[in-house]
Amino acid sequence: MKTILTDRPLSLDLGDREDLVCFDLSRMRIAPCVGCFGCWTRTPGSCVIRDDAVKVYPRLAESDTVLYVSRVRYGGYDLPVKIMLDRAIPVQQAFIRLLDGETHHVQRSVVPKRAVIVAYGARDREEEDLFRRLVARNAKNMSFAHYEIRFTGEEQVEAAVRQEVEAWKRS
Amino acid sequence: MEKILILNGSPRAPRSNSKRYGALFDRAWGGESETMDLLRADPGAVAERLETVSRVLLVFPLYADAVPVPVLRTFQALEERPPKNRPTLSVLVNCGFLEPEQCDVAVDMAALFCKQMGWPMGSVLEIGSGEAILDSPFRFLAAWKIKALARAVAADRPRRLKAAMPVSKAFFLKASTRYWLAYGARHGVTGEEMATMEIEGQRPS
Repeated sequence: MKTILTDRPLSLDLGDREDLVCFDLSRMRIAPCVGCFGCWTRTPGSCVIRDDAVKVYPRLAESDTVLYVSRVRYGGYDLPVKIMLDRAIPVQQAFIRLLDGETHHVQRSVVPKRAVIVAYGARDREEEDLFRRLVARNAKNMSFAHYEIRFTGEEQVEAAVRQEVEAWKRS
Repeated sequence: MEKILILNGSPRAPRSNSKRYGALFDRAWGGESETMDLLRADPGAVAERLETVSRVLLVFPLYADAVPVPVLRTFQALEERPPKNRPTLSVLVNCGFLEPEQCDVAVDMAALFCKQMGWPMGSVLEIGSGEAILDSPFRFLAAWKIKALARAVAADRPRRLKAAMPVSKAFFLKASTRYWLAYGARHGVTGEEMATMEIEGQRPS
């Protein structure tokens, strides 16, 4: 199972393979997390906000490969991807475990995954370095067994994504 | 003492720990202050207030290893319509994990915003175990560091401070489990239910 999360429309031919899905967040209705802890303590594993996010995070959890496409803002994801990743916390439990000597939330049934992040619009090396540090932290909390960041200009986003998808199709 | 603007960046601003941390800072500050909740505040109104102060304290919780959405939205709005004034931005961030260092990336995002806006970056306090410390016997440690933060902000002497419960990781795991079990029990949800491996009622095939 392979999933693309993108903050902008992409012209992709995914063919008819059911194991490839692309969520264009710019066309979805997803509200920001309200920090109610409902997905941990009231309806465990399900968000209390029943918008389009509830289609996305179960799919992310069961994917062995994910590709995120996001503009970089202040060394982090821009709003569309950021909002979705914040809303993905139902895939974790409230309970804390030790991972690599640090405290982190216990994951529910989340498949360890390979993540590729196509990150565009970073202003300089400093912003890229901060984004690298963010993704390294995400790896611990989002079950990235391996990850790769491809910094690119806005004009090269489609080509970078297409290259990855073609590799998926061949696999 | 000069007025300070306290910006609460929590997604649950009216009933947030950030509100409590902001109130503790306000008490330690002792001078005039104004608090705005970024969740509800109009960015234009925030920019307007920023014209009137030389010091700002941004208080927020760690969200997915980064700043939460109300903070990111405000940064973007301020970048689009920057105030003429360039106040010094200090940061008070808390996370539910024991290690305050897990907040480093979020703090550096705020620092990068300052750099891109040409604002001076001020002092920082990172609070680990921040979800529970205010209701624990170690509340005094958080309050003590918040006082140190207020002094550093007032003196325009940037410092990077950290606070957390002085307990072992093993103890923290047990204490946090008790904390969350009690949280679930308030809603009639058992520990077993909270520990379900299902997501939206399903397990991956």
